[in-house]
Amino acid sequence: MAWYHALRTAFDALVRRSRAEREMDDEMRFHLEMEARRLVTERGLSEEEARWAAARAFGGVERHKEAVRDERGTSWLEELVQDARFGFRTLRRRPGFTTVASLTLALGIGASTALFGVVKAVLLTPLPYGNPQGIAVLWSAWKGFDQTWLSYDEYEGWKSDIPAFANVGLFSDGAVNLTENGESERLRAGFIDRNVLPVLGVEPVLGRGFTAEEDVPNGPDVIILGHDVWQRRFGADPSVIGRAIQVNGRATVVVGVMPAGFKLPLDFGADGATMAWLPLGTDAASNGAIAGPAFVRGGGNHGFHAVARLSPGATVDQANGQLADRVAQLGRDGIYPKEQQFRAFAVGVEEQVVGRLEPVLLVVFAAVGFVLLIACANVAGLLLVHGEQRRREMALRVALGAGAQRLTRQLLTETAVLAGLGGTLGVALAALGVWLVRTTAPAALPRVGETRLDPMVLGFALGVAMLAALFAGMLPALQARAVAPGTELRDGGRSATSGPGRLRWRQTLVAAEVALAVVLVVGAGLMIRSVANLFAIDAGFRPDGVLTMRLSTPATWYPDSVRVSAFHDELRRRVSALPGVTAVGLVRILPLASEMGDWGLQVEGYTPPPNQGTPGDWQVVTPGYFEAMRLRLVQGRFFDERDRMDAPPAMIINRRFAELYLQGRSPLGARVRVGGRNSTRAPYTVVGVVDNVRHNGLTREVKAQFYAPQPQFATNPGNTSRTMALVVRGDQDPKLLIGPVRSVIRGLDPRLPISEVRTMNEVVEQAIAAPRFAMELLGLFGVLALVLSAIGIFGIVAQVVASRTQEFGIRAALGATPRNLLMLSLGSGVRQALAGLVVGVAAALVLTRTMTTMLHGVTPNDPVTFATVVVVTAVVAVAASLVPARRAAKTDLARVMTG
Amino acid sequence: MTDATSPSRSEVLQGTLEMLTLKALTLQPMHGWGISIRLRQISGDVFDVNQGSLYPALQRMLRRGWIRAYYADSENNRKARYYEITREGRRQLELQMAEWEHSSRAVNRVLRFAPQGG
Repeated sequence: MAWYHALRTAFDALVRRSRAEREMDDEMRFHLEMEARRLVTERGLSEEEARWAAARAFGGVERHKEAVRDERGTSWLEELVQDARFGFRTLRRRPGFTTVASLTLALGIGASTALFGVVKAVLLTPLPYGNPQGIAVLWSAWKGFDQTWLSYDEYEGWKSDIPAFANVGLFSDGAVNLTENGESERLRAGFIDRNVLPVLGVEPVLGRGFTAEEDVPNGPDVIILGHDVWQRRFGADPSVIGRAIQVNGRATVVVGVMPAGFKLPLDFGADGATMAWLPLGTDAASNGAIAGPAFVRGGGNHGFHAVARLSPGATVDQANGQLADRVAQLGRDGIYPKEQQFRAFAVGVEEQVVGRLEPVLLVVFAAVGFVLLIACANVAGLLLVHGEQRRREMALRVALGAGAQRLTRQLLTETAVLAGLGGTLGVALAALGVWLVRTTAPAALPRVGETRLDPMVLGFALGVAMLAALFAGMLPALQARAVAPGTELRDGGRSATSGPGRLRWRQTLVAAEVALAVVLVVGAGLMIRSVANLFAIDAGFRPDGVLTMRLSTPATWYPDSVRVSAFHDELRRRVSALPGVTAVGLVRILPLASEMGDWGLQVEGYTPPPNQGTPGDWQVVTPGYFEAMRLRLVQGRFFDERDRMDAPPAMIINRRFAELYLQGRSPLGARVRVGGRNSTRAPYTVVGVVDNVRHNGLTREVKAQFYAPQPQFATNPGNTSRTMALVVRGDQDPKLLIGPVRSVIRGLDPRLPISEVRTMNEVVEQAIAAPRFAMELLGLFGVLALVLSAIGIFGIVAQVVASRTQEFGIRAALGATPRNLLMLSLGSGVRQALAGLVVGVAAALVLTRTMTTMLHGVTPNDPVTFATVVVVTAVVAVAASLVPARRAAKTDLARVMTG
Repeated sequence: MTDATSPSRSEVLQGTLEMLTLKALTLQPMHGWGISIRLRQISGDVFDVNQGSLYPALQRMLRRGWIRAYYADSENNRKARYYEITREGRRQLELQMAEWEHSSRAVNRVLRFAPQGG
């Protein structure tokens, strides 16, 4: 039971300390009064005499009180609280120091906590699949396509021939119109075969996945809803299972609801994640493929995504080895021509989802670690100064019997109190940071939007705060242990400011800070230049002032291309009549929004090298698109109202197309057939050449591309493009056009759902989201690092100036000019900065190599960046030294001697 | 800065003080002054020298759970802090008394034989 009493007494000591003090006081006074009264009645002493006698017999009240206090709290807990109270008192007496130190720590802790939240959400939280390590995404690649769709043959072939795959699921994506309660919505939808969910190891929370009977061509109309759609459109009603809802105008039975947060592997970081899933319902026959593990000569149509579940014990590397062997075999069998350079490969699903972001995040996380280190170093520096000023206090305490260990602990506790303050503020800052990340994270950054301030992240903040306390407090504590009471107290306090040894510690700290800051700022500088280079890339169009939205004309209401074209014509007419609109057009796929596939072409007068095709990326547009996007016309003309369905087929090609297939000829008038060798469709005549558009990515290679007028393309190869992006150019903020354009569409056909409403600038920004994210964070941390180091430099110069005031006064009296004094004290700061610069530049030369993959158009040791950083850091160092140094210059003897 | 009393002596005194206090409290709960009067009565004013040293001893015994404190009206109608012995305290008292018996018997034996040795 003893522990209980000990605990209880400690508790009393902690919580009811003042009450205990009062009670002890009362008790002793009671004793003295009773004793005095006894002496009066029993010995006949006078009141006065009795009081004296009682006090004498009792002994020194304060001494006994101290003894009681000792008995009350010898627990470590109480000492801790005592130290903390003492720490608080000390800190409260120095509000300036406390504010600067705790804010500095708060910045470091807050920034690292928020970023840890991001790292956790992106890299540490497992993907919402069963055993994600065993899932791989499959890709095909060939000349011109680094990572693209699979053909149906490949899917069946890999499924049966690759032992490392236990199962393979096939899927593609698109969109459907969901109509419920008369309200239509365009939903991105995935078309998944019955294996996709088992491969991902996920089951619906309600209902079931697709059965083999449902996953056949022209199978029953069934749908699995995403959690979000289920909540939003069906009020999370479980009875929706088994109900028929309107999808693309057809009664479709809901068979399942997926768990919250479920996404297909390729939907992370994608512009529009799929939110409902329908059976893929395909087979070899409907894809012109050969049933079973056999391959159509030449490869066939590629238009599917695939995910594979690895066999137990198999790795992605093994799968890739087996795929390479199988593809080599196909080459030897002459099925895939060598010149095509066909490849097939698997990517682990985690690598697929966050692989692109991982290096960026790790670099930024390292950067925030640097900021934290600088913050700690700064606080350690401040504490050292603080310690200098307290040397007499410490000496006195040592003289009065405080053990070195007790003193160390007390100083560390003080720092811990500081870190507690900083940590609390830091968590508030982190909360703000997480909120900012959640609200501003571009959709193109996978999982970043899932960042939360959860217990693990808060635990991280606590850990960081504790480490920071230890790190920042260690040096001052060690320094305090070296206190020799004799000398300190004898010196009379005058010289108790800074000995050379102690100053050296601070100088080292400041130099280290500058070095860390230099590395950070170099990193930030490289990212800034890299992003500037990305922005400077000529994408081939002008995004400013352009509004876009996706719009589809379902076959139910627009059965043929005539009606689709008529709708587009009327839409363009009405939108262009809106005030402020200068051009309107529609396009099949917005540049930089998603990749484009290609068609095999027949270009008259051009013979491709043996076994190579003449591929061309296909774009379908209406008149007005080129003007709205401001593509540059190189030759010929844009499409206009002449290019109707019954007019001679006209084509516009990009410059790359002309260079590749029409070398040395005038492109205008060239004739191009779309489709394979035996295509019987009427040829297009080239009427114009436009400058290249970087469609697949700002830094990706430009491919041969052709534009066909929407009405003509529909009749020519067959299907009309039902889903098109409306592109509207205005002479004002494009966002102002959203309302008017929407009401035009509603006026034309209220049933048509609109989706992906954004400005073209937003589309471009998504394309460079990751480097921009890195640039913004590194920039922020670089500035933080510079400011903190500036504070450090300022501090050290101020300290030097303060400690040498007398010396400066004498120098001034002996004839030193203010300028001499200024240079003298300036030197003390600039020297540290120089040392830091040298070390920092050397470290940066090594460390920035890790950024190579993140950079575009600059090398990791870019001389311009390094030179700029050196200059900026030097300027900051001089500026930070100048403020306190000017004080030194004003030193005059009279003030020093009298003051 | 250290106390003038040597630690060994004060320790002995302290242990005795505790034992006597516990013994006194077996009769009835008492407040601090009451205990000090009682001790003086029992010991013939041996503990008159430093009445205040009772309080740290009380605090230590509180912490160890040998006694417990409560507030009650005292003889002059003021609230006073009363101490009573706990079961643990009684056990402790028995232990200490047994030890005292043991050691005092030993001391007595030595003292009894000492003159013959000298």
